[in-house]
Amino acid sequence: MDSSRITLRPFKLTDVDDFLTWGSDDQVIRPLRWTTISTMEEAFNFIKDVCIPHPWRRSICIDDRSIGFISVFPGSGDDRCRADMGYAIATKYWGQGITTIAVKMAVPLVFKELPDLVRLQAHTAIENKASQRVLEKVGFCKEGVLRKYTYLKGNIKDLAMYSFLIKIVTEIRGEETEGTQFTMSSYPSA
Amino acid sequence: MDQENEITLRKLTVDDVDDFMVWATDPKVAHFCSWEPHTSVEDAIAYIENVVVPHPWLRAICLNNRPIGAISVTSNSGADKCRGEMGYVLASAYWGKGIVTKAVKIAAKMVFEEREEMERVEALVDVENGGSQRVLEKAGFVREGVLRKYLVQKGRIRDMVMFSLLRTELRD
Repeated sequence: MDSSRITLRPFKLTDVDDFLTWGSDDQVIRPLRWTTISTMEEAFNFIKDVCIPHPWRRSICIDDRSIGFISVFPGSGDDRCRADMGYAIATKYWGQGITTIAVKMAVPLVFKELPDLVRLQAHTAIENKASQRVLEKVGFCKEGVLRKYTYLKGNIKDLAMYSFLIKIVTEIRGEETEGTQFTMSSYPSA
Repeated sequence: MDQENEITLRKLTVDDVDDFMVWATDPKVAHFCSWEPHTSVEDAIAYIENVVVPHPWLRAICLNNRPIGAISVTSNSGADKCRGEMGYVLASAYWGKGIVTKAVKIAAKMVFEEREEMERVEALVDVENGGSQRVLEKAGFVREGVLRKYLVQKGRIRDMVMFSLLRTELRD
């Protein structure tokens, strides 16, 4: 697919039909904490009450039509240094590298828009190999497996923890150094 | 530890403030903690009343019934109630004698017994805190990995080592 067709943008109320298409698909929703959306009304309310006010949620679009989402949940107070990322796309678009492109696009936007962010993290159930491949292709680092970490829809899960640290381009040397310097004066490197 | 030097856990109260002050005012002890050393008895009493007493699970680590430190486990709700995070602190005069390792084993056993829904006790330790990492390894915790630039402690961003002990791994 021509990657210029893939864009990220905030959700709109007019996404309701497209949202329902992938939001009602159990295969898409199963790995998430969401429950499947079954009606136009639920889709409309979810977009209005959850997606639009969300601190950072974007629709993944092809030709400006919603095929999925990426969300980032920042921490508060001292935990503003880190944020959690989640994503999903319609099954029709699985296995084509689209999620990888979308996440790659999202990462620099997130660091730009969340000024205190140093660590973007994502965790996936250990059996979710496809999601782990996305994170690895984007450049997230696997740090380990958190065993019996949380319940997801009644099942206790082992989660693979991945992180992506802020990259600062050192203009003089023209090199990228990962996570060793920070733009915000409140976080001197230890 | 023999019978004459018994390590036990019990609730910590305002009456323990003098013993509490021994470790709570010590900068060596506070170094890897989120708090600054306490500077007055009033300050310590307020901390015990506002933080220690209402805590979901916090116990004094006692040597021959005198508090020489504390150990705690957090409580989560909903989907996260299967895990609790453990923290501990010990007066520096008693470091290096295996006391915290013993307290960690006792506390883990107690918490798994008291909370049916607990499956995982975890602990986050600063990468530079080798002493604390050894405590957890000796207590049977598994080192799961380093969470890089995970949290801010005293204004500095830190790499933290994640350890965990599962209910199925509890041993005497």
